[in-house]
Amino acid sequence: MPGVAFVAHCLLNQNSKTDGGARCPGVYSPLVDELRERGWRIEQMPCPELAFTGLNRFWAVREQYDTTAFRRHCRKIAAAVTGAIEVHVARGDDVILVGIDGSPSMGVHVTSSDPARGGRPEWPDGAPELSPGSGIFLEELTAELAERGVTAPRAMGVSHQLPTHDPSQERAQLVALMEGGG
Amino acid sequence: MEGDLRSFRVALVAGELINPGADGVDALAVIEQEGWGAMQLPAADYPDEVAAPLLDQVAEQAEEFARHGYTLALVGNRAGLEQALARYGLAVPPAIEPAADDQLRTFLAEVAAG
Repeated sequence: MPGVAFVAHCLLNQNSKTDGGARCPGVYSPLVDELRERGWRIEQMPCPELAFTGLNRFWAVREQYDTTAFRRHCRKIAAAVTGAIEVHVARGDDVILVGIDGSPSMGVHVTSSDPARGGRPEWPDGAPELSPGSGIFLEELTAELAERGVTAPRAMGVSHQLPTHDPSQERAQLVALMEGGG
Repeated sequence: MEGDLRSFRVALVAGELINPGADGVDALAVIEQEGWGAMQLPAADYPDEVAAPLLDQVAEQAEEFARHGYTLALVGNRAGLEQALARYGLAVPPAIEPAADDQLRTFLAEVAAG
């Protein structure tokens, strides 16, 4: 088997997206197809936001999610995911991780940040919020892996919610990640 | 939900059917073609102590979909799922152990039609 890809929940289930964010009815096929065509095993991670803030949640930035309770929730999920990653690492499987860039929770290289955001939800459309960094779940997952002595997998973030999204570039990035880059 | 393309249909799917062998039912392909989302159940090769917290997450998230009126279905199974769902007040949704892609396609269409 080429390897195991732990993917963000919404890649297989766009129903989990914040209102307005679903790009397709269910499975976000471009990257899922790429993984499957190359024989990678797919493992879906839970959505950190879905059970915590629910389907009616607002779009939010890192600072709004960065609470003790949300980090505790993320750590609980991270512990579950790390348990599965450990199984594959122990077998010698190659493991990669595919998050969602631009997400306050699942961002890998790009998250969303605005320290001033809060209160009545009025802010201009297009207000800058994307910033370098990881989402809160990714931070907790990285910490959980480190505490258990598991090397963090190579990782990338899907870019479909970034203004610079380029489907062919996104696909190429996934291929590079599978081949050992990233 | 202007511009939002979600289907409001979510299938809980056995890990073995998300990652089928060469001669197995390719549930993920059918689910994608039929416009459902998928929530993956831990495959049988995960020990129970690894699968249990993952099942708990599946059940908790299924509850959120259920209480918002999303249509749920179960494709394949995983030991412990029924108990996990029950902890969140959910019964097992309409279920199938598909023997062929077309059988699954028909099942999903029937569940979607109510």
